[in-house]
Amino acid sequence: MADVGVVVEKFARRRRAFRVKNWELTLGLVIVGLLVVAAILAPVIAPYNPNAINILHALEKPSWSHLMGTDFVGRDLFSRVLYGLRVDLLVVAVITYVGLAIGVTVGTVAGYLGGWFDAVVGRIADTVISFPFIVLVLAVIAIVGPGLKGVAIGIIVVGWALYARLARSEMLAMKEQPFMLATKALGYSNTRAIFRHALPNLVRSSLVYSTVDVVVNMLVLAGMSYLGLGQQAPGADLGSIIAGGQEYLLNAWWITTIPGAVLVLFGIGVSLIGDGLTNGELSMATI
Amino acid sequence: MSSPVADQPILVVQDVVKRFVLRRSAADWLRHRPGEIHTAVKGVSFEVARGEILGLAGGSGSGKTTLARMLIRLVEPDDGKILFRDTDVRAARGRGLREVRREIQMVFQDPYSSLNPRMRVGAAILEAGRVHHQPGAEDGDAFVTRMLDLVRLPASAATRRPQELSGGQRQRVAIARALAVGPSVLIADEAVSALDVSIQTQLLNLFLDLRDELGLSIIFVAHQLSVIAEVADRVAIMHEGAIKEIGSTADVFNDPQDDYTKTLIAAHPHPYPPAEGPSTVVSSSL
Repeated sequence: MADVGVVVEKFARRRRAFRVKNWELTLGLVIVGLLVVAAILAPVIAPYNPNAINILHALEKPSWSHLMGTDFVGRDLFSRVLYGLRVDLLVVAVITYVGLAIGVTVGTVAGYLGGWFDAVVGRIADTVISFPFIVLVLAVIAIVGPGLKGVAIGIIVVGWALYARLARSEMLAMKEQPFMLATKALGYSNTRAIFRHALPNLVRSSLVYSTVDVVVNMLVLAGMSYLGLGQQAPGADLGSIIAGGQEYLLNAWWITTIPGAVLVLFGIGVSLIGDGLTNGELSMATI
Repeated sequence: MSSPVADQPILVVQDVVKRFVLRRSAADWLRHRPGEIHTAVKGVSFEVARGEILGLAGGSGSGKTTLARMLIRLVEPDDGKILFRDTDVRAARGRGLREVRREIQMVFQDPYSSLNPRMRVGAAILEAGRVHHQPGAEDGDAFVTRMLDLVRLPASAATRRPQELSGGQRQRVAIARALAVGPSVLIADEAVSALDVSIQTQLLNLFLDLRDELGLSIIFVAHQLSVIAEVADRVAIMHEGAIKEIGSTADVFNDPQDDYTKTLIAAHPHPYPPAEGPSTVVSSSL
């Protein structure tokens, strides 16, 4: 019973430290959390069908009936932003973390095994990284075809490489750690040493980096939609809404500005989470 | 060999050599020259008997850790022969090498980094037992408790994470993990050097007990002669990659033959006044 008391006490102390030292993490989680909940609940929250055209109410200012105003064919912008956010968050989460999973796996294996596998992976990663990011994504879209699928494949093909490099360099250092030598001395297989002992200890830096990557990918995705290569009409996503509003920028500022501000807010929230994870009180073992 | 060896030695090391390439310039590469080479271990030979504790002493850079690591091929030897029972360690591959490593276990110097920080003590010990299908490992908790008991830790330690334990406790966990795979030789590579003196004594006694209870052979690598004097039956003094002198601990420490050994023993500080208890008899004459 005394043990339970000790545990409770420790937990409370950790939470206190957590709250004081990690306001960045807390604020970031609140912002991103709100955006994610709004996106998930879009069908419930959205007052209008995001694609319903109503020419009579075109280019209306934000008001109580249209919280963010309407666009040039009278579609409710608030509903479109919610649905757009939903698409963007889903796509960005998938591409960032599929890229992370591929990159971290390939990178740790390459770093651990070394030799020809390491050389091949390293050269491929160098090649991918040496191209300008957007140009390479465009090239992949040219092969796969425009649309969200094309953008997603394009970003994953490019995005894994940085994770691979990061994980590989961490693995090179970790390989010399006594607890990794011990896995060899204990006669464990390479698979066990890499995936059960090394990977959980080095995935953290990749997770921190992914908070930067999420923002970059969000912007690339919005950029591709802005160029007409991502989300295809009439579907909504933040980039395509922004693009659609630019012709009306002078007489209907809200069409471009509000989805842009949502994008910025998301970026700030994710960056705060990243900062919180880096400076935080959370030790390797607690996260 | 001056000391009596009861039966067939369990480990035989013959003329083992390790060279490290320090620098290899482009000119060397073009001319197929090997570059600048440092020979860390220069043809070392010794034997370890069943149930024997062999001390391996020497200063920093004398090659003792490299030698110890070569015995289980964490470092590949460049030349020589290593025989475990009838197995040629240098020729072992795959399953054979894993079996050699199971039989010859190692405890590392730094108990703060030799345990995976994310694994609870019980999980780490159980994993070692299960990977090598050790008897009882399927029982889980009972197996862990038995291993913890061997190193004199309470069963409740199983649910702890390494960072909740002290250095001495961690080193006991590292020993328990090594024992979990059922080895017959234990290499303690500076296993007590990072610990304070009172903890050192407890661990040295533990090593002695384990030898008696399990019939383990132990290769005890240390730079502190006092530590070696406490546990070792025989001692080998290493200097610049070679064994300068090898023999029973009492002989070597009381009557060193080699000049380097004499210097080393003379240079070693002895912190306590001569002869009080039985365990200080050898040390006090240093």
